[in-house]
Amino acid sequence: MELEIINQTPIKPAAFSINCTKQPLSLSLSLSLSLSLSLESRCYVTLADQKFESHTLAYLTFVSYHRRNMHGRPRKAYKPEEEAASAAKAAKLRGLQSQFMANHHNKIYTKEAVDLSTKLLEINPEAYTAWNYRKLAVEDKLSGIESDPDLVKTILDEELRVVESALKQNFKSYGAWHHRKWVLSKGNSSVGNELRLLDNFQKLDTRNFHAWNYRRFVVELTKRSEQDELEYTDDMIGSDFSNYSAWHNRSVLLSSLLARKADGFLPNKKIPDEYKLVQNAIFTDEDDQSGWFYHLWLLDQTVNVETPLLTSSWPSHSSRISLYAGCSKGSFSKLTTFGSESGSFPLVLYFDQAVGGVSSSTVTIDSELKGNEDLVWEPVSKKNSQVSCVWVARLKYISSEPCFGKEYKVKVRVGNSPGIVSSRGCNFSASYEFVFTAHVHDTVEESSQDGIVSWKDGFDIWDAESKDLNALATLDRSNAQMDSKWRQEAIAEEIDLFRELPDSKIGKLTLARLLMAKAMISDDAVKGVHYNEILELYKDLMALDSSHYQYYKDEHSVALLRKVTSSTEDLSGHLFRCRNMNNSVCLRLNNLSLSRIASVEKLLFVQMLDLSHNELHSTEGLEAMQLLSCLNLSHNRIRSFSSLDSLRHLKQLRVLDVSHNHIGEHSVDTTRYLCSSPLSNSEWPQDEVGSQMPSLVTKYWDAYFVLRDLNLKQLDITGNVIAGDEFSSFVLQVAPKLVWLDGKKLEI
Amino acid sequence: MEELPSITVSQREQFLVENDVFGMYSYFDTSDIATQKFIVEIHRDKQLDYLMNGLRQLGPSFSSLDANRPWVCYWIIHSIALLGESVDDDLENNAIDFLGRCQGSDGGYGGGPGQLPHLATSYAAVNTLVTLGGEKAFSSINREQMACFLRRMKDTNGGFRMHNMGEIDVRACYTAISIASILNIVDDELTRGLGDYILSCQTYEGGIGGEPGSEAHGGYTYCGLATMILINEVDRLNLDSLMNWIVHRQGVEMGFQGRTNKLVDGCYTFWQAAPCVLLQRFFSSQDLAPHGSSHMSQGTDEDHEEHAHDEDDLEDSDEDDSDEDSDEDSGNGHQIHHTSTYIDRRIQPIFDSLGLQRYVLLCSQVADGGFRDKLRKPRDFYHTCYCLSGLSVAQHAWSKDEDTPPLTRDILGGYANHLEPVHLLHNVVMDRYNEAIEFFHRAA
Repeated sequence: MELEIINQTPIKPAAFSINCTKQPLSLSLSLSLSLSLSLESRCYVTLADQKFESHTLAYLTFVSYHRRNMHGRPRKAYKPEEEAASAAKAAKLRGLQSQFMANHHNKIYTKEAVDLSTKLLEINPEAYTAWNYRKLAVEDKLSGIESDPDLVKTILDEELRVVESALKQNFKSYGAWHHRKWVLSKGNSSVGNELRLLDNFQKLDTRNFHAWNYRRFVVELTKRSEQDELEYTDDMIGSDFSNYSAWHNRSVLLSSLLARKADGFLPNKKIPDEYKLVQNAIFTDEDDQSGWFYHLWLLDQTVNVETPLLTSSWPSHSSRISLYAGCSKGSFSKLTTFGSESGSFPLVLYFDQAVGGVSSSTVTIDSELKGNEDLVWEPVSKKNSQVSCVWVARLKYISSEPCFGKEYKVKVRVGNSPGIVSSRGCNFSASYEFVFTAHVHDTVEESSQDGIVSWKDGFDIWDAESKDLNALATLDRSNAQMDSKWRQEAIAEEIDLFRELPDSKIGKLTLARLLMAKAMISDDAVKGVHYNEILELYKDLMALDSSHYQYYKDEHSVALLRKVTSSTEDLSGHLFRCRNMNNSVCLRLNNLSLSRIASVEKLLFVQMLDLSHNELHSTEGLEAMQLLSCLNLSHNRIRSFSSLDSLRHLKQLRVLDVSHNHIGEHSVDTTRYLCSSPLSNSEWPQDEVGSQMPSLVTKYWDAYFVLRDLNLKQLDITGNVIAGDEFSSFVLQVAPKLVWLDGKKLEI
Repeated sequence: MEELPSITVSQREQFLVENDVFGMYSYFDTSDIATQKFIVEIHRDKQLDYLMNGLRQLGPSFSSLDANRPWVCYWIIHSIALLGESVDDDLENNAIDFLGRCQGSDGGYGGGPGQLPHLATSYAAVNTLVTLGGEKAFSSINREQMACFLRRMKDTNGGFRMHNMGEIDVRACYTAISIASILNIVDDELTRGLGDYILSCQTYEGGIGGEPGSEAHGGYTYCGLATMILINEVDRLNLDSLMNWIVHRQGVEMGFQGRTNKLVDGCYTFWQAAPCVLLQRFFSSQDLAPHGSSHMSQGTDEDHEEHAHDEDDLEDSDEDDSDEDSDEDSGNGHQIHHTSTYIDRRIQPIFDSLGLQRYVLLCSQVADGGFRDKLRKPRDFYHTCYCLSGLSVAQHAWSKDEDTPPLTRDILGGYANHLEPVHLLHNVVMDRYNEAIEFFHRAA
């Protein structure tokens, strides 16, 4: 053997491999062969092509491994007679096919022609053209004999028979299943027949999603009771609790039964039972995934309420806000003060899920502030989406007849008339009213914001004793609106159970999710304890399961922000007043290794936000903070201006620090999604700046799109690759109101 | 329910697969270096032989695929392109001619000459022609008729039908929008209600099922996510739960499964890894809206004028300018590679990329060419196409964008195994996509 190989150095490994397959090597022979070859191979290095030599060797050892461990089953070579048979079969099929095509194109629906399509489909159920042909043929026949129910039945029964034998050939054929649905919708067959057929197929392949889909179709068509179907999933799960398709169907059925409050299907009764059922599966084998996903669904059912809720608003209920004409300074420490050049202030509604239909008819405003009769509500979301969690309207407080030095009560009624609908189609039903007081001051100060804003000096610690935070932060109202007792009990029980489960990854993850759910619906006093435990769990998971590190890291960030915003005590530790900025409310969340933003619904009142020294990639989420005027994102992982896109919604933003990020290290990839380059995109409008310096706009288009829509007075960009003289000159053109760039006052 | 059986059929099967896979891994770990190198290498010659032979003569056993012949073309030709190769002129002309005969007179491609036009085979045909590239291939597609065909397949519920009187599902939606996007014929009529339909197929698990009520499935999840990105409505999906579902489909074998508690399968290397990378890129750098809301709200007349203006500019000098600029940019980019900041252009993938590559190369690759579902299974062109596509995705998963080449250590087996990067939304090789997109934008 050895000699052979050496002598035949030029042979291709391919040829050699065929030899090997045809003469199975015994275990001992192959082992000794590889051993002796590997010993000898050193001598041949100079003689033969080294690469080839090692390849041959490796191939041999590899093949011998397969021989030993894959229990034979060598790929069988076709015997000549088999090959001839299969060639004949293929020829026959081609013959059938071309004959069929001729019939189809000539619209021939005789018995012979239809029988021919039967033969074709029984060999190849994938031939969808033939299924369509049969539909036409059936329609053709039915048009003549509609009055004779027996004949109609005979014709449709024949179709069902053909489908059945086609499915026996290939029960994953889309065309066959679809044809059966079509026949059934013609009003034929009985539930019994269909379920019997399904039972057979579902026993053969319990996870076949065609069969499950078809089952749901039959149930719906024949109005079979969902309770009966639920029992079927009982049986399927009972015989194989790993069958996730059965668990899934169970969740679909239960969702429907619970939603229409069928007899005996109240969440507070049924969901705890389901927890017990799934515990059985999970604790029998904790590595089996099926139960875990069902558990996740149950947790969803326990925590989430389908109907959308208003989570928070700015201004919040019973708060007082101070409004100024123009920009202002002054010290009204106990109030949120707000001044804007436009003489309007934002009214922000934050829902717990994306909704559409917020308008002046679904949200009514009752106040003496003039000119706010037909408020325009805008969704704060990317792109053209008409649904969003956050909606904003701008209330005017300086109208043609200014009446300063007065207090106005503003009453907002959300859901006054129906029309606010979640993206899943649920109506906002719990209409909600809140009232706040707006104090309009007559001090019209000269513009004073030309001074540079520093993130270092001039901050006062928040007075933790003061009560005003209660008025600023909207409390979590969701727990007041659900019957929370059974939910709390169910979650508490699950938590106790999972604490006992030994340290498995999925166990820890589920425990973290349960605790998160618990924290959301429990009293403020105990929230902090839960969040601490959650944070520990995610830290463990990051260490245990490095392949999902980034996922846990993000979840960790979310939990951390929930913790910080969970109570006034926690939050006030991060709050400051900025003296130089009219005592603006400043929130500092730096050095927390945050990788994503969360809990913004609790932070709508924040005017200055310091997120420096984190690991943020994007500002997604900040778009809800409509009062934000100063934002510090220095020392993060922002990679391009596109990642700052959400800031375009912040009409008050004047100061932005993105120094020491990674902007410009790489040109933004535009080929990722739809268009090859935004500048070849025909939607791109040519404006003044664009036509003045087309090459710079082309180069910095991502910065251009963001900066153009902002109204910045101060920008810090140093410490990014993009920063430099050329970019500075570009910025000056795009942001003409800029006064400070990288700490230097601009000569205007 | 009190007495559950101690081991179910699924568990037994899972156990057997794990046994095979871990047996293979431990064999690999204890092998000498030469054997290890051999096993992790993509045997390009063997792979190409297998693919080219397949293209030359579709053997008798392929007759069952007779309603899917454009698919076979796509699986093979795309695989060849991933390996950085092209087919010769004869084969290319044959393929173009053959697909031309599959094209219906009123738009779309059927599974073979004379067969009804079908969305899936239309997708396969268009992707094949895009991969072949060149004027002849591109212009063989009847764009206007294709647009008519897509409109005929559009259902009032927002989704698409696979073919006349055919089934409606997420595959149909994806293939329709992918075609429309590449051929640059997307319009409001095609996208109307489509997002709502896809949304109704996302399950509580987070993944996307084939039709409303179905359980989440890897292939449909890819189709649904890609569709939502293509129509610019991706933020309507519950991306957190989608992410959660998908990262947990990578099992202990390091390959992906298609559904909860199913066995690992090599083809999901693409169907599941591509959504992972799409999500990861979406989160790490939000894409600028190609149709930003502030631009769209302007008067339509004005827009039309600007269109004309834009195109004029492109005809003249701007195009050249921007090309040069971007060349310069990438030139600079390469210099930066050698500095420490290069590390920041990299991202930790949300799945185990090297583990995945290991599964594909050790368990799915067949030494004589071709790839397969798992050990003990036969090879086929479908699995070859999606294992190679998935390998390419995994190799490029560390880059935050498609322009950044992977490091040697990102690629199991080193640069010898490097595959061409693919466009994640269409699964065609990036360069071929760029050439096609340019052609079809000029055609508009």
